[in-house]
Amino acid sequence: MKIRRYGVAVAVAAAGALLFSACSSSDDSPKSTTTGAATAKTGGTITVAEVNAFFSFNSLTANGNTDINSKVSLATQSGFNYVDDKLTLQKDPSFGTYEVVKQDPLTVKYTLSDKAQWSDGTPVSADDLLLAWAVESGWYNDGTTNADGKVTKGTNYFDYAGSTLGLNDTKFPTVSDDKKSITIEYTKPFADWESAYSVQGIPPAHVIWKHAGLANEDAFIKLLQDQPKGDPSKPAKTNATLKKISDYFNTGFDSKTLPSDPSLYLSDGPYIVSAIDQGKSLTLVPNTKYQGDHTAKLDSIVIRTIADPQAQIQALQNGEVDVIAPQANADTLAALDQVPGVQVHKGNQLSYDHIDLNFSGVFKDKNVREAFLKTIPRQAILDAIITPLDSSAKVLNSQLFVPAQEGYADSVANNGSSAYGEPDIDGAKKLLNGATPTVRILYNSDNPNRVDAFTLISQSASKAGFKIKNEGDVNWGSRLGDGSYDASIFGWISSGVGVSGVPQIFGTGQSSNFNGYSNKSADAAMSKLIQTTDKSEQTKLQQEIDKDIFSDAYGLPLFQSIGVDAESSRVGGIDTFNPNQNGVWWNVWEWTVKS
Amino acid sequence: MLSYIVRRLVASFFILLGASFIVYLLIAYSGDPLAEIRSSNSPSKDTQIAVRTEMLHLNVPPVLRYFIWLGGASKCLIGQCDLGVTLQNQPVTAALGQAIPATLQLLTAATLLAIVFGIAIGVVTALRQYSTLDYAVTFMSFLFFSLPVFWVAVLLKEFGAIKFNNFLATATISPGVIVALALVSGVVWAVIVAGTWRRRGITFAVAAVVTALVLVFLSATKWFQTPSLGPVVIAVTGVAIAYGATVLFAGLRNRRALYSALISVGIGLVAYFALQPVLDRTGFWGLIGLLVIALAVAWAIGHFMGGYDRTQSIRAAMLTTFGMSLLIVIDRFMQSWQSYSDNPLVRGRPIPTIGSKIPGLDGDFWITGLDTMTHLILPTISIILISLASYTRYSRASMLEVMGQDYVRTARAKGLSERVVVTRHAFRNALIPLATIVAFDIGGMIGGAVITENVFSFQGMGQLFLTGIKSIDPNPVMGVAIVTGITAVVFNLLADLAYSALDPRVRVKA
Repeated sequence: MKIRRYGVAVAVAAAGALLFSACSSSDDSPKSTTTGAATAKTGGTITVAEVNAFFSFNSLTANGNTDINSKVSLATQSGFNYVDDKLTLQKDPSFGTYEVVKQDPLTVKYTLSDKAQWSDGTPVSADDLLLAWAVESGWYNDGTTNADGKVTKGTNYFDYAGSTLGLNDTKFPTVSDDKKSITIEYTKPFADWESAYSVQGIPPAHVIWKHAGLANEDAFIKLLQDQPKGDPSKPAKTNATLKKISDYFNTGFDSKTLPSDPSLYLSDGPYIVSAIDQGKSLTLVPNTKYQGDHTAKLDSIVIRTIADPQAQIQALQNGEVDVIAPQANADTLAALDQVPGVQVHKGNQLSYDHIDLNFSGVFKDKNVREAFLKTIPRQAILDAIITPLDSSAKVLNSQLFVPAQEGYADSVANNGSSAYGEPDIDGAKKLLNGATPTVRILYNSDNPNRVDAFTLISQSASKAGFKIKNEGDVNWGSRLGDGSYDASIFGWISSGVGVSGVPQIFGTGQSSNFNGYSNKSADAAMSKLIQTTDKSEQTKLQQEIDKDIFSDAYGLPLFQSIGVDAESSRVGGIDTFNPNQNGVWWNVWEWTVKS
Repeated sequence: MLSYIVRRLVASFFILLGASFIVYLLIAYSGDPLAEIRSSNSPSKDTQIAVRTEMLHLNVPPVLRYFIWLGGASKCLIGQCDLGVTLQNQPVTAALGQAIPATLQLLTAATLLAIVFGIAIGVVTALRQYSTLDYAVTFMSFLFFSLPVFWVAVLLKEFGAIKFNNFLATATISPGVIVALALVSGVVWAVIVAGTWRRRGITFAVAAVVTALVLVFLSATKWFQTPSLGPVVIAVTGVAIAYGATVLFAGLRNRRALYSALISVGIGLVAYFALQPVLDRTGFWGLIGLLVIALAVAWAIGHFMGGYDRTQSIRAAMLTTFGMSLLIVIDRFMQSWQSYSDNPLVRGRPIPTIGSKIPGLDGDFWITGLDTMTHLILPTISIILISLASYTRYSRASMLEVMGQDYVRTARAKGLSERVVVTRHAFRNALIPLATIVAFDIGGMIGGAVITENVFSFQGMGQLFLTGIKSIDPNPVMGVAIVTGITAVVFNLLADLAYSALDPRVRVKA
């Protein structure tokens, strides 16, 4: 009985043993060629890992404006210029040229090259240029939005993710007879004219006006011409055709899959989307109709969605992806160091953390603000958060410039930031004169970096007599500007290009001015800044504003975030770290596979 | 019975309603969907807030917003589901339609394998209670059970994918590794086979030597680069399966059953040669068709070899045929291995760490099949390792309880062989309590495996849920919650019904 009991187990085990040892028996020679021969192209595929999944062929709408959609549009759409890794604008004359024909009033003529055409063979034409202008100027909008975000009267047509400032103050552009160029005349000088008007990313106009039932390009141009500029105080009746066009622009190009209608994903850039596996991958292949200078050098680019940074690194190590850009932290950088045969590019991103003081409540008094700022241990915060990632990192010393920009060094020398180099507890005590004000500090309690910064600041400030109240909150975003705190630690993202963002943060009463900052001379300088087209004049004005902000004890910039990307050694064309949100994609047409 | 089911369904409906309300409020109050936009310095902040507000009805208080959602969801009853849109402006129904198959693909094989292996191991350890094997398995299953899945996943990727792919470049095994693996194999077999110390010693020696020889052979022929089984291995393994199947179903004394199984092996070998050209051109359904034909042939063999108890022969023949079919298919997949591995998109690194397939890979059924399997292997192992433990423990406990029952003693007393006592009297009854757990787990499959999906970049239900939570996007979260809720309720009901059908002592009063 006893032995029989093991019978089953022994038999099963024996079968398993044989299966396992099966391989030791003599084999017939394996088939080296099979019917399953692969038909994929050889030698030219680069796979890129991205955190987010692609969902819209129009990255210019407020909803579609996500990093991944913009990156795909960089590969599939051309423009008059693009931003390089030094944050300067580079022109692409093979798409078109532009020139300032008159300084006063500022008039710019944009002329398309004959080579610019969509992948369905339609040339890029004045309809595309006008559509870009209509979208980016918000010219036709006459809607009024209430606090809840509802449009109460009038109509908003194109829903644009960027700023309509500047382009809104233009006349209706004149179109040349050959429909190859338009001329935009600004009624007020505009500093960011070169970057504000961009055709890159605008969906093909002919697809949109066809969808709205217009007969031809002329009808579309006429429709735009005849529609007067919107005035929110006197809203006009909704233009049904224009509304149809703008609605299609706003949502018609959203798709997580490859649309069955190829006109929804036309390309006028080096690559074109050839396949999408919803949420998982997207494949780009060369656009055969592309004639410009940015010729595609690869057979295909595959984008794979990998949210987890550790998974990205291991996929790179395993050769499944060739390019990754995981979120930089001590873990990912340490893991990347362990991976053999990859090139790692590290650098400062355009996002930076800062502490802002409210110009009300306890900080109404400038002496208290200054005393508080004197206690902030910026070097210690940097050492705790950034130095482990980048030993050469330095404290950020300007509210307006990042070190990658010209003008940073000069500004830092003069803006008074040197007064806040190291914490000066005695100086702070002197300014406080025995007072012990209570300071409520708001920060994102879910973000370990902000928690670290808060801890270090509160320790240091307590030494000078400040009583610190911890207002760490996961819902910090909705509390900004509501007066329930005195100081806030959070991050901004500098645009890197252009100056229109400056008044938005520091201008009196502006939408991102949460701390109630108001300085007449800075306001004047800012309104002058956004109308100045001369680069060196811009820099000078920005340096003035930077100085004003520091002397008002506004708050302090703390540090720039570190970004990282890594490539397998077979990838060519990615040689530097690009700080803006396009990351490695800024020169996608230069990517190659090294043999 | 019918009224019981109706009562249960009505109650379930209200449970779902209540649960969806609570889940909705939890998400709605979990954060501010506009936080990211509010704190940004984007120039179009106001537009973005307006767009999102309109999309998610943020100007309506959450309690009332729930009823907007419910209004759309209730249209499902008339076949026009409207579960809202995600923040990416995609209908939730479409997102679910994409996520459910991905999750099922990831979890079906893993769950089924975990159930089969878990129960098998549990039963074996119960039969050999307090043996070294029992202790070893208990230790291992608790060890795996307590490992965090993300960590297991990272280790699996490091050793199962990256290091293994590096190894494939040469496919030669170093002598040190061969010795170590041989010793490990010896110990494992000695523990499994057990018996007297002498017997263990012999087992250890034989297993270690055989393993070492096998590994030397594999290394010398670079078998891992060009794997194959070949007719001889298939034949030998097939005969072993035939004996195993006969022992399980009929006992070796039933010669007719043994001969049925062995004949199946013979036919399988003939089919191996005959079917190669057919297999080259076949697809998934073709294989299923061939399997059905093969099983029908096996049934016929068993039926005509039959004798006094035909069923035993039929079962033995069918199990053997199934095993043979599996071997032939495995062999065919191995024939395509090299061409898969040499594909420019694979570049000699066939075991991947992420995703469910290589985008843009073209090939026949065998190539795409290999692609799917290589992608599933690591996540499947990690899920099995962790869910195996509970099945092992439940089935072991259940089996032990049944083995101590009076009717098992009675069965032994009336002279039944131990095989019959275990397979017919004990094992079947031990499975009854497991029905509930298995039904729950199958129902829970559709809810996704949040962490596993995240680490292995599977875009399934868990990932949909996770991204929804992260961006405080209520609609996809509600979609996942409602699908998971419905399956949970349905499988709960099915489990109860199955229980009452299996166990005569539990009968529902209508």
